[in-house]
Amino acid sequence: MSPYPNVILYEEQSNFMQASPLLQEFHPGPALLILAWVVVWGGIGGVVTPRIYRRRDLDASKATLYGTIAGAGLGPILLIILWTKTPELDWRWNVIPSLTALGLLYWAFATYHPANLCVTSGTYVISQVSNGILIGILYGVIAIGLTLIFSILGIVSFAHGQFYMLGGYAAFFTISQTMGAGLHPIIGLLMAGLITFVIGVVFEYTLLRPMHLGKVERPGEYAILLTFGLAFFLEYSALAILGANPRKVDPFFNLGNITIGAITLPPSRVIAAGIGLLILVILLWFLNYTWLGKALRAVSQDKQAAAVVGINPLNMNTLAFGLGAMLAGLSGAALVQVLAWVPNIGALASTRSFVVIVLGGMGSLPGAMIGGIVIGIVESLGVGCFPDVSRALAYQQVFGMIIFAVVLLLKPTGLFGREL
Amino acid sequence: MKKYLFWFAVVLMLVMPAVSGAAPLNQGQDYVVQADDWLSKLAEKFLGDPLAYPAITYYTNQKNAEDESYAKISNSDVIEVGWKIYIPTQEEAQAYFSGSVQKVGEGTIKIGALMPLSAPGSVSGGTAMKAAFEIALEEINAAGGVLGQPVELIMVDTEGLPERGTAAMQRLINQDGVVGVVGEYHSAVGLTAKEVAHDNHVPVIFAETWNDNITAVQYPEVFRIAPVSSEVAEVDANFLQSVGAKYVVIMTENTGYGIPAAEQTEARLAERGIESDTYFADLGTLDFAPVIERIKAGPKPDAIWVLLTGETSFNFEQQAAEAGIGPQNLLMICNQAAADSEAFWASVPDGNLCVWRRIGLPQQLWTDATKAFAAKYKEKTGKATPESFAMEAYDSLKLMAQAINEAGSTDPDAIINALENITYNGALGTITFPYGLKNPVPEDMDPKWWHQFPDPAITMVQYTEKGQDAADVTVVFPEKYKTGELIRP
Repeated sequence: MSPYPNVILYEEQSNFMQASPLLQEFHPGPALLILAWVVVWGGIGGVVTPRIYRRRDLDASKATLYGTIAGAGLGPILLIILWTKTPELDWRWNVIPSLTALGLLYWAFATYHPANLCVTSGTYVISQVSNGILIGILYGVIAIGLTLIFSILGIVSFAHGQFYMLGGYAAFFTISQTMGAGLHPIIGLLMAGLITFVIGVVFEYTLLRPMHLGKVERPGEYAILLTFGLAFFLEYSALAILGANPRKVDPFFNLGNITIGAITLPPSRVIAAGIGLLILVILLWFLNYTWLGKALRAVSQDKQAAAVVGINPLNMNTLAFGLGAMLAGLSGAALVQVLAWVPNIGALASTRSFVVIVLGGMGSLPGAMIGGIVIGIVESLGVGCFPDVSRALAYQQVFGMIIFAVVLLLKPTGLFGREL
Repeated sequence: MKKYLFWFAVVLMLVMPAVSGAAPLNQGQDYVVQADDWLSKLAEKFLGDPLAYPAITYYTNQKNAEDESYAKISNSDVIEVGWKIYIPTQEEAQAYFSGSVQKVGEGTIKIGALMPLSAPGSVSGGTAMKAAFEIALEEINAAGGVLGQPVELIMVDTEGLPERGTAAMQRLINQDGVVGVVGEYHSAVGLTAKEVAHDNHVPVIFAETWNDNITAVQYPEVFRIAPVSSEVAEVDANFLQSVGAKYVVIMTENTGYGIPAAEQTEARLAERGIESDTYFADLGTLDFAPVIERIKAGPKPDAIWVLLTGETSFNFEQQAAEAGIGPQNLLMICNQAAADSEAFWASVPDGNLCVWRRIGLPQQLWTDATKAFAAKYKEKTGKATPESFAMEAYDSLKLMAQAINEAGSTDPDAIINALENITYNGALGTITFPYGLKNPVPEDMDPKWWHQFPDPAITMVQYTEKGQDAADVTVVFPEKYKTGELIRP
């Protein structure tokens, strides 16, 4: 109790949502039974299957993942087949059990909270998923930049979010009619890409290159400290020079409200996601059909072999860092029409990109893209479906982290990580 | 130099037993320096401790400022025969060493100021407060400072984080030795900072922290000129009742301000038969799409009430507008961050018809002090109207300066006493603190009225055209201040 009758302490407020018209009944009992079935059989599958494979001298590297999914999806039926026949595992063994596992989880949720919008309204689910995909594409593009840097240079850039922030500001000051040059949004995008690319290249060439030339005693720590330093430098320089006032531009193109069937999408996000996809296509073309792109991929696979065939790995490092920074910058430019842009906006983007690339598999480009979209959808659905409406948004990042933890538990290299 | 110090130390050691018998003084006295005197010897003789010599230096210099017949000691190692110096009493020396006498950066009065200057705090709020502090400081020093000495203002960034509030307060009190602290924007910071102020017995005037508990704990050191959260909720609820709302969505932040504010608003709405749902978001949340979708899928609210602060509120308001539940689709009470019209229109271009709550006198009731401050504020920041937190920051510092002057010393009890008796005319109007140590809060009143400015004007105003300046808004509630009718979307 608070010593003051009119002062309500936080602990005493647990019931203050009771009058809500949105809260309905919950049935935890049957839902827990279904959940227990999934978890227990998944656990048994995950623990027992690799042992059986190992005892028979078979490749057990995928057995934990496949065993868990088989157990969670089809319970003892599929597990007994796996255990008796011990077939060679490939992705086909995953399709049906993962769908049924998802179905069972959904069933458990629907039993628990039958009045939930995610159970009663298909349109609602679709609009949440499409929102998640739109924002997830941008998460993906940011993360691709980070994973590109990682796969070529072998370092994690802690300044990635700050390049994203810079890109947004570059676009703002190119496009804005009132505070900037008032140029066309496409020029704004190009400027954002150019500025972040140049800063990235200069930074890599002057400060990171000594690391690859063997002039630095502890290259790993050196890279961490240096990119951290760059992050602080960029963020606080932006704060000092550009000020803390939020900036934003109008949507690049006037599309009006976009309605597909029963769902309405905010135009600024659709444009941002469209730009993200365009960037992705151009990047894929660059990596697969140009000499430089092929050289980058060669270096990421084997530095020495690439050097033997005449590719200078040092130059590829510089190019990769510049490209990575540019991808972050372009995403920032795409999102400056969606979010109020402030100098510290990069911090959240940085942490989210780390999660995305670890989830997708360090160094994997498709992994980063799919990881981004998965995080986008999971966060969106998590907030949309979580039974306690009032707390849902506060848990936004938790939903992504749960998926992150589950994936890493079953497949420590991430969704598309290279097999160890 | 080392050599001198060495001999100094040797002589000190030889002489110590000879003088240690002298009785310490109970009364301060003047003393004329004799041959073979040095300060630590005199300190030992009169104050009983050779290490007490800085107190002699300090008080002699204080006297020198008033009366030139006293010597000015610029280096405690060098005194000349024939100088008139002042030997303080034991009490004075103790006061000097315990820090209750202003001593750091001798010759200035140090006051601390708290404000959020980086995220997740409200940076725009903190920046506005900083500008206001600078104006107040200039005015105070131009008018001769406090107690005849210039004021030095030490501004500390609290980042809107409770733990930073504790650290900032400790730094101001223990490291910088401030005599009083003013400012702060976030309640979460105020709640922790007030504990440090109380433990160290340093008076503090909070500028923009609304949480009831800040004054309700009735610490002698804590004063507030911001409105109290529960009183604001009362005005909010009355406004919603007057527009005939039946169901309201409250969008709030997960903080020491947002949680109780939402709770108080809900309770008051329920008293008036208005149903409500509260959605919580972390301060700094960027993407509101999922929750906006959720609000759209639920029953249609008559109003959305945004209790998020700073840039976070802008993101929500604009994203809601783009999704079709913005201020042009239904009644939206935007966060008072909208008072910074430049930042608001830059981030919420679809924010026309936003209603927001304004603290401080409406323009037609501005005093001369308000007008003078507004003019200086415009010159400094380019903003046509000062935000309420800017006015509060300005008043908190000027108020502290006036209190120290009226107290006639930097003694904390004297300052607290002066604040309890003060009548200060500033940008917010006439500030007084009716209830405190002298006049306790009556049994039948809420304890939150302790050391609380009772009458900050709270009004609801509305933007009526895109890009409008905050100075030109229409006051739509309450009747007393009304300048126009509410435009309903």
